[in-house]
Amino acid sequence: MSDAMIEIQGLRKNYRGIRGLNEFSLRVERGDLVGLVGPNGAGKSTLIKILATLLPADSGSAGVAGVDVAKTPAAVRAAVGYLPDVPGVYQDMRIGEFLEFFADAFRLQEPARSAAVARALAQSGLEERRDDFVEHLSLGWKQRLHLSKTLLHDPRVLLLDEPATGLDPLARIALREQLRQLHAAGITILISSHILADLEDICTRIVFIAEGKNVNEVHPAGAAAGAPGALLHCEIEWEGSTEAAERVLAAIPGAVVIETKGNWRRIELPGGPAQAAALLRAFLDAGLTVLHFDARGPGLEERYRRTFGGRP
Amino acid sequence: MSNRVLALFRVSNPMIRKELRQRLRERRAWLLPFLYLLVLSGTVAFCYYMVVQEGTRRGAELQGADIGQAIFYTVLFTQLAVLLLMAPVFSAGAITIEKEQRTLSGLLTSLLTAPQIWLGKYVSALLYLFLLLFSALPLLALSFAFGGVEPMALLKATGAMVLVLASISAVGLWCSATFRRSVHSTAAAYAIVLVLTILTAVIFGILMAHWSASPAGNHQDPPPLYVQAPLFLNPIYPFLSLLDDVDVRKYAYPASSCLLYTAMGLLAAAFAIRRLRRSGEQV
Repeated sequence: MSDAMIEIQGLRKNYRGIRGLNEFSLRVERGDLVGLVGPNGAGKSTLIKILATLLPADSGSAGVAGVDVAKTPAAVRAAVGYLPDVPGVYQDMRIGEFLEFFADAFRLQEPARSAAVARALAQSGLEERRDDFVEHLSLGWKQRLHLSKTLLHDPRVLLLDEPATGLDPLARIALREQLRQLHAAGITILISSHILADLEDICTRIVFIAEGKNVNEVHPAGAAAGAPGALLHCEIEWEGSTEAAERVLAAIPGAVVIETKGNWRRIELPGGPAQAAALLRAFLDAGLTVLHFDARGPGLEERYRRTFGGRP
Repeated sequence: MSNRVLALFRVSNPMIRKELRQRLRERRAWLLPFLYLLVLSGTVAFCYYMVVQEGTRRGAELQGADIGQAIFYTVLFTQLAVLLLMAPVFSAGAITIEKEQRTLSGLLTSLLTAPQIWLGKYVSALLYLFLLLFSALPLLALSFAFGGVEPMALLKATGAMVLVLASISAVGLWCSATFRRSVHSTAAAYAIVLVLTILTAVIFGILMAHWSASPAGNHQDPPPLYVQAPLFLNPIYPFLSLLDDVDVRKYAYPASSCLLYTAMGLLAAAFAIRRLRRSGEQV
């Protein structure tokens, strides 16, 4: 039996003559937290809206929790929680009423209904403000309320479209923590965002999308930094002769200096951790005093720049 | 099938509860009935004054029935005019407001069906109009105190009003499902009301003039169906059969008009639900 919670094959979608998705394929396993990054108009929101049953695809297939999105949208809605970029809330409703309405909209029956509302209030930290009107909440609290509403019916898959848009740093940190907890609880999450540092921090996998196509994939916490032969970025600062340091660097095969500031260099090494260790040893053997040394895989930002740097 | 219909109409439809709660929280929820009844009461007082003045001027003995009929028709048509003006306000913004405040995606991705969402909006808009309509019944019933109006006329008038408002609200809701912004959908709904009220009367006037000038034109007979047909879409037409005037009664085919309004309302509902199902691009 397939363990994929999201399975997309050759998805195409055109918007008034503009291509939204072009043969996009993706498989997300149960419990994955997958980030979706790409420039504006790359097709991220279109993909999420198709998975949330808001948009029909022109061709291809998409399934969520083993259910075809086009054939049985109601079953998909029961399994999915969708959070759009702007948290649409009813300003003139009380917080409790807002959650109760959506509990009813997801056909929760008592006592599960009351339990779900109480849990949502606890998750969002709004228990004390149950009778306050939604309009009195800040954007960050509204986002928390909206996320709690999205979780009312215990979805197995969360689809989050730019959930951190407009949030202040503290609200962003809170959201990141909440997503981490949901991921730990076994919920499969697909999240699109422009905030690469957040994605790098929480995602198990990041998919790069451009012009409606899946163009690259990375595993932020995985192989990049640790595998032999993986590309590394090293920062080194030393005390002593610059010429001697340049000679050492020139002797390292494939090493490329990408940034220079006095006796500080950022170097790209194609040989992985072994080559980084060799570089450090060569500096010491040359009699140079190393003040700072840091070797790590290129960050998501760097990978993003490489993938999309040439694109408008 | 019957279960699905029951599920649609059951009182527990959360959309209906939500809409009514939000509607009654608005300031206009109590302000509008107050102003509405104030206008109608003023109209009744003015009508009474005019009828009495006219009777005094003519020197003839004033019949209670004359006052009763005058009050009944004045209130009826004032009510129709005011409610026709108000119907688009309540229905044409009902779905666009969800798009504007970005809440429609939450509804469409819940287990609420498009007909349930539509019904919640429709019932809420219509019930408020009915609140206005029925709150004015005592004013209409005032005519009974003077005589000249039968209770059946009141029932027929109320029934016709309910049908016209139900259809116009369905049309307003279709505009709301079609457009992205409330300002556009409200303008479109008003344009439709104007076309139904004024353009149909203008077309009728042209056809009537053409027919009267033709050799077949006979002022003793009712005009043929093709001349009257544009009026079937006019919201005033279903009320013509109530008027106690022989010349006016010649134009009264209320059943045709009622059928047309029913069909218009059903079509608007079907198109609105269809549009709502496909409104993912607008969220």
